[in-house]
Amino acid sequence: MSNGFPRAGFRNTPDTAVVPFYLYAAISFLISTILLMLSTESFMQHYFSPQLLAITHGMALGWGTMIILGASHQLVPVLTEKPLYSIKLAHISFFLAAAGIPLLVVGFYTFNMGWPAKWGGRLILLAVIAYLVNIFKSTKTGKDGNIYSLFIVTAACWLFITAFLGLVLVYNFTYPFLPKEVLTYLPLHAHAGILGWFLLLIIGVGSRLIPMFLISKFQDNRRLRLIYFLINGGLVYYLLSYYFHFPYPVLISGFTIAAALSLFIQFIFRVWQSRIRKKVDRPMRISLLSVAMMLLPLFILLAVSAYRISGGQHSRLVLIYGFLIFFGWITSLILGMTFKTLPFIIWNKCYHDKAGLVKTPDPKALLSDRLFMAMGVSYITGFLVFALGIFCGYTRLLQAGAAALIMAAVFYNLNVFKIWMHKPMV
Amino acid sequence: MNIISNHSINATIALAALEQVMDPEIGLNVVDLGLIYQLDFDKQGHRIYVSMTLTTQFCPMGETLTAAVKRALERTFGDQEIIVELCFDPPWTQERISEQGKLFLNQ
Repeated sequence: MSNGFPRAGFRNTPDTAVVPFYLYAAISFLISTILLMLSTESFMQHYFSPQLLAITHGMALGWGTMIILGASHQLVPVLTEKPLYSIKLAHISFFLAAAGIPLLVVGFYTFNMGWPAKWGGRLILLAVIAYLVNIFKSTKTGKDGNIYSLFIVTAACWLFITAFLGLVLVYNFTYPFLPKEVLTYLPLHAHAGILGWFLLLIIGVGSRLIPMFLISKFQDNRRLRLIYFLINGGLVYYLLSYYFHFPYPVLISGFTIAAALSLFIQFIFRVWQSRIRKKVDRPMRISLLSVAMMLLPLFILLAVSAYRISGGQHSRLVLIYGFLIFFGWITSLILGMTFKTLPFIIWNKCYHDKAGLVKTPDPKALLSDRLFMAMGVSYITGFLVFALGIFCGYTRLLQAGAAALIMAAVFYNLNVFKIWMHKPMV
Repeated sequence: MNIISNHSINATIALAALEQVMDPEIGLNVVDLGLIYQLDFDKQGHRIYVSMTLTTQFCPMGETLTAAVKRALERTFGDQEIIVELCFDPPWTQERISEQGKLFLNQ
């Protein structure tokens, strides 16, 4: 220990920069599952349809991105060892995104690429810029920075690229200026978001938080750096191949990403093996399940590429691919991590002044175990049945799967709002 | 777990009080978790200095834990001023968890 009592101050992120994102995401999840039920017929057709674009953006932005933005305001200081730069910017990014997402989703659903989609896209891009500035300013760079900062900053940059490309595509509907049709550019926009934003951020945050939650001393920064370069390398190769016509873009990028994922899964396995905390709670187990679920869409992608599947079969596999990513991997991760983080945020707010003075309830007591179990069962049922429905092209299965997913979203919302409305018991 | 103190009897009393302060995420008290580095009691009996750490810098529970440590000691040593300061040098590692703590986490 150094001399005496060295001072080390810190400032925690207030819950107002986090909780609104969680609540917004919960409602978006419910609306997206209802849209899923109303659009089951679209899953029998080509993947490029107004309803599917609306659901995809509801899930990717309203659900996945909103909760990740909120959680990252809370977690970035833990990862980068620097307080969040601006609470005001966090609020601004919330209000801009909260206004922009419904406009964009309605624009897609009604296929009105005029003012709703354009204003939706503009507001979302501004929200992303506010987030990007906040993250840049909250992160140590250069020699002082750590590997987690690198993941987070790069992910935020990919989010900006995704939002920018998205807005360009929206404008192209009314003022066509791109040399090729929209479908050609859609995979660029989608994969910048899926791999650059979601995958990079989830791996960066997960590689720090999972060892923390399991109390494991396993650390391997070299492996994390390799994962970082494999993901970014694969993604950049894929994007540049559109311009430079590199050979086998999907296959080569797919294998690069597969290598990164297998390294990450090995990393998590080593963390698991060396953990001190043997008892793992349910939210953590669901989060770990999502790590394995990362592989499912990748198998589909490699199958499409390796066997050169085309026509109706190709379109169906693309639908399954998207469903596995947004309703599988990302949703399972959020379902788990919400109940690993939100009860503590609310507990901290309610019992900050009482801890150490009187006996306080366990933060885990803020959530309902029964609702959590009901959510888990309906989610897994809905996910499997709907995926089977897409694969078989059978409407009844799609409807049954969507109904179970609506139930999962209802249970999730009930639990989230129960935690949020918790009143101090002592 | 290695806690430095200039007064072993008072330190024992203080640690007993601090064993009631739990890390809400881990479910283990701050003493067995190894968060307490140093407890110093001034000779006049006016002040108690606590040097403690967190499992990670900017831990979201940090403010609550330091406030809880202060309150727990105020309850036990009512007439003394409690000064709690955070220290991250050296940083917390799993090795600081006591044997009892490890047993609890192993369950």
